[in-house]
This record gives sequence, C-alpha cells and structure tokens, in this order.
Amino acid sequence: MHPPISPADLTTLITEAAVAARRLHRKLVLPAADIDDLRQDLLIDLICRLPGFDSRRGSIGGFANIVLHNQSSRIAIRHHRQRRAQGGSVLSLDAPIEGGTEPMGCLLAETDGLAAWHGQDASEADHAALRHDLAHALGDLPDDARGLCVALGTCAIADIISRTGTSRSALYRHIALLRLDLAMRGFGARWDGLRAA
Amino acid sequence: MEMLIMPPTAFTPAKPRPFTDIEFCAWIGQALPGDRLEYHRGFLGIDTTAVISTLPEIERRRVGALASAAHRAFEAALVHLVQVRVGPDRFAYLAIARTKPRHAPVPFSQLIASEEAA
Repeated sequence: MHPPISPADLTTLITEAAVAARRLHRKLVLPAADIDDLRQDLLIDLICRLPGFDSRRGSIGGFANIVLHNQSSRIAIRHHRQRRAQGGSVLSLDAPIEGGTEPMGCLLAETDGLAAWHGQDASEADHAALRHDLAHALGDLPDDARGLCVALGTCAIADIISRTGTSRSALYRHIALLRLDLAMRGFGARWDGLRAA
Repeated sequence: MEMLIMPPTAFTPAKPRPFTDIEFCAWIGQALPGDRLEYHRGFLGIDTTAVISTLPEIERRRVGALASAAHRAFEAALVHLVQVRVGPDRFAYLAIARTKPRHAPVPFSQLIASEEAA
C-alpha cells in the first residue's frame, strides 16, 4: 500500500493544482465559473497518479508539475476539439452568447431546458397554479377520499393493505372511485367533445 | 336552382359514441354552469339491471358505471340530474352542470403533515 501523504505534500499538490488551473483557465479563455472544475479535474488526476511518485527521482513538487502539465495539455486538446465542433465558439450556460452581456442560461426559457425534453415542461407559474387547483380539489373531496390521497402519496399499495387491513380488491375499488372524484374536479382526464360527438 | 328540403323525420343523426364513466366525470370537470350532457337514452332502471336488461353485458356494465358516476356527481352537488320523456318507456337522461361548490382549500403538503402528526 502506498504510504499516506503528509500534510505538507498535500498542501504542495493543492497549490500546484490551483496554479495550473489558473494558467489553463487563462489560456483557454473560459468563463470564471469553470476554474473550480478545472482545479478539481487536475487535482483528481494528480492524486490518482501519486502511486507512481518515486521520491528518489525528485521532489513531489516536480512530480506534480509534470503530471499537471500533461493533464492540462489533454484538457486543452479536448477543449479545442470541442470548440472546433461548435464552430469556434464557447457554448456554456454561464457564458454570454456572442454580442450579448447576459449568460445564455438567463436567456433560455424553461421550455428549452433538459427537463422539458423529458416531458417536464411546466414552469414555476404552472406548478403554483396546479398546487392551487389541487388544494381546492382536495378541499372538495370527501374525508375518506382525502385520507386515501394521503395514503397513496406516502405509502405503497402493499403498505396500505398491511396497515389498514383492507383487501386489495376493495382498495382498488376505492382508487377507481377516487379517480372519478378527481376527474369530476378537473384532474386526470380530459373530455374531448369532438371525439364524443 | 331547386333546393332540396329534407323532412325532419327523415334525418337521423349519427349515433354518438357511447362514453365511459371517467369521460363523463372529465366532462363535469370541464363543464361550465348550465352545460348539459345527455348521458343515456332508454330506461335506465331496466337497462342497468342484470336479468331484464336488453343490452349486451359489456354495454350494461358501462351504463351501470355511468349511472353510478352520475349519481356520485349529483351527491357531490356538481350536477343536476334530469330526465326527459322521449317516448313510451324511453327517456333522455341529462346531466346539467352546477356551479362548483367552494370548500376551503386543503394544500396536499398540509394534508400529509397533519396525517403524519396524527
């Protein structure tokens, strides 16, 4: 097993990684927020390669410099390749788009986000309206249906059965009625007049 | 040009697609006060009873579930239920949407918190 690293050596590694990250960050002209990621990437690579350090061949600072230099080159090559693929510009949510001052993340609508690609395209305003409508619908429900809502919101079906002693078929009957109750209050189903005609 | 006038009795409207209980409830969810929907035509008491109904079994079950949903909506004060006589032993069953009753809203988070506290 590799001997544990001393606090002094660890300080040296962290300092060298920070210097290398700043240098690389400046050379690549990256957004300010990326410097922490660079520092972390470099430090992790350095720590992974520590078992190859031989104190007879030089100081730990020299070893760190060589490793950090090589890893910086790899990151720079990867970055340039990515930038060429994007037509020479930086695409980052934290960086302003060409000719603008606001970061790109501030200009994107919620419907352009990754969540929207996966079907979660409701905005915060829609969520608030939904919560409001749901609170009204729950207020209109009979007490037993409301209790079932809570149980379904917090437990699995098997847990409800074991806790209440209700049979599975009876529980599913109650759920079917709850579905009707919620549909009557505008939740869960849509009426298509054209399709019904 | 001579206009073709069709006598009213000659025109038979296309039979509307029969709908299910959940579709009926969805209609209630979206209906404005005063909107009306004919949810069945026939004799509901007979059509939903197992031995005497002339409807096929699947259809009889559908109408039974629809009638139960209508009654549930009526008990929740969401609709008026009305029947109009259209012939001997034949009625049109109408649901007329009412103004939605407004109870105090109960946020779901509060509901769960009170259930956990209990």
